[in-house]
Amino acid sequence: MASASFEKPAPSASTGTTTPAAWSYFNPVSPLFSAYDRFASWRRDLGLPHPGTVENISKEVKATHLSNFIFDGARADLTKTFSMSPLFQVTHSFSLGSQTLPSSYNFGAIFATQKIFLQGGVDHEGSVNGRFNHGWTPNSVTKVNAQLSQQVGHNMIQAEHEYTGTDFAISAKTLNPWPLDLTGIYVGSYLQSFTKNLALGVETYLQRPTPDESETSTSYLLKYTSNDKNWIATAQLQPSGVFQSTYWQKLSEKVEVAAELQVIATPARRDAVATLGAKYDFRLASFKAQLDSTGKVSALLEQRFTPAFAFLVAGEIDHFKNAAKVGVGVMIEGSTLTPEEMGMVPEIQ
Amino acid sequence: MPSEETKERITKVIELSRTVIHYGWIPFIIYVGFTRSNPQPSLIKLISPLA
Repeated sequence: MASASFEKPAPSASTGTTTPAAWSYFNPVSPLFSAYDRFASWRRDLGLPHPGTVENISKEVKATHLSNFIFDGARADLTKTFSMSPLFQVTHSFSLGSQTLPSSYNFGAIFATQKIFLQGGVDHEGSVNGRFNHGWTPNSVTKVNAQLSQQVGHNMIQAEHEYTGTDFAISAKTLNPWPLDLTGIYVGSYLQSFTKNLALGVETYLQRPTPDESETSTSYLLKYTSNDKNWIATAQLQPSGVFQSTYWQKLSEKVEVAAELQVIATPARRDAVATLGAKYDFRLASFKAQLDSTGKVSALLEQRFTPAFAFLVAGEIDHFKNAAKVGVGVMIEGSTLTPEEMGMVPEIQ
Repeated sequence: MPSEETKERITKVIELSRTVIHYGWIPFIIYVGFTRSNPQPSLIKLISPLA
């Protein structure tokens, strides 16, 4: 943006001629602008790829591993779509019989357009969680995330602004800020591509539990993407002694594998966990399997019988603790729209 | 530094907005979705899980 408007006076200043091309308030700083322009064009010429964001640095691994998808007991999700553009859908989720979580009912609503994303959920106890994303421009997004409950101390609000450039991503985040004394947690992160494959980044935490106390910690990130983007390796180091590294590879169109190693070596605790997982995507089903060094073997099958009905089976065996968990679930998607309104060709059953 | 009175007022405003968001967020999404949807759904289908 700035480069276009200051292109005129910049060359005269850099070549040292006495007559400036046009008088402007910016003349005294135009050498800076020209230097910036040269730096920007040099950077453009490198053609560095976009590195992704710090938050999503191990997105592929998380999508392959089933730690985020496993459940036990029985559950049912009834989703109803009322409109495709803008997207508007409501979800009724029921879950019961879980060993770890109490039975619950959750009502959720999603409304999304190109720029705005609104999501809300309320459970039978009256706790509300909400999410609001607003894209100011395609590469500048503000996200607000909140959790509100009747109980004191369970409220959480998180606000984040993310800017993604052509070869970098920068974000600022705050958790539970209190504007009067500026307590809360503040996180800043920056990820920059250095070559076509390598991106390096930092993430800084500033914790202010009380106005006179503050603590910062910085972690360093590395992401290496192969030329054909078929494998990604990441590493994350926190100087306090936590190291995390992941590896993800796409073996074929349908098979993805991922490995993760987490090492905690603080004076208080020494621990390491390795996780290995695979994901198979079939036309109407997806199967995930996972094995980790704490002795857990788990699997999840999601079988879609029709586009509107899916059946889930999840299982986990903890060999070291001699425990097992089983979960079954159904996902039913309904719509008040006719197939034509959804922009689909009617399917022959 | 703001005075004690202002501090108290800001705290009250924050507490109030938190309560408003707590009770108003889901109705707000439903209202926005209901009015902007194309075509507009009927209310009974919106609320009932079975309809």
